[in-house]
Amino acid sequence: MDDLILELKKQIIEVLNLEDVKPEDIDDDAPLFGEGLGLDSIDALELIVLMEKNYGIKLKDPNQGKEIFKSVKVMADYIKNNRTK
Amino acid sequence: MIIRRWIKLTDTSVSLNGKKIETESCGHALLTHLYRERNDYPKFFKMDALSKLGFIATELLLHDESQRFQPRGDRAVIFIGKSGSLADDTNYQKTIADKDNYFPSPSVFVYTLPNIVTGEVAIRNKYYGETCFHVIDELRADKIADIISDAFQDADTTSVVGGWLECSDEEHFEAYLFIVEASADGQAPEWNKDTIREIINNN
Repeated sequence: MDDLILELKKQIIEVLNLEDVKPEDIDDDAPLFGEGLGLDSIDALELIVLMEKNYGIKLKDPNQGKEIFKSVKVMADYIKNNRTK
Repeated sequence: MIIRRWIKLTDTSVSLNGKKIETESCGHALLTHLYRERNDYPKFFKMDALSKLGFIATELLLHDESQRFQPRGDRAVIFIGKSGSLADDTNYQKTIADKDNYFPSPSVFVYTLPNIVTGEVAIRNKYYGETCFHVIDELRADKIADIISDAFQDADTTSVVGGWLECSDEEHFEAYLFIVEASADGQAPEWNKDTIREIINNN
């Protein structure tokens, strides 16, 4: 699980162009949106693409993102249980 | 109309009001270098190449202006270029070119319009006036003079941040931007095609 969390942090930094952020700067339980990393709605769409592209998870209902993207740890849990690749 | 300040920023050099700013970088690295020297605005890294160019050029142009970041509706942002958002359009095309690896990027897609850069500059500086990006065939001082002069025809605009903003790809770009004002000032260069041409070619 720790490996997946680290992998996920690296992917988030890359796809969202968080140039000055390092994986260790992202708290496993910190909110990704609103506070924490301060991501916006376009970032949310990019995370949906990341889930499909890297883990084969297609979110049919965008509202699911509100729960899944609560934190990196919640996101990793969801990926662990639903990944197809 | 007069020119209050101007900047020339290309992929190999920078000068402000005719004074060269020394830098060792070039191309995309130059923009990142200039950003890191002067700014703390993480959204910069999410921008496409055209917006990065417009952002850095206007940051240099406006950095010591008094009353900066005070909301104002009398200043327009008007850019003119040849390639528009072609650099980002090309990047977006790459994300949808392969049917077996078809993952359109939302963050690349949002920059596939040339006028997005005018919004980035307006948001950054709290400008609520006109914003516009004109695409023309080639760099022409007379066109730049006419387009920006026309902006002063409305009742609200007293100042324009604008000029030539061209980015053919991430490594090749040029910006010749001006602060143009409606006021009369005997000390400042007059806003016309001859002055623009002289600044682009000599200063």
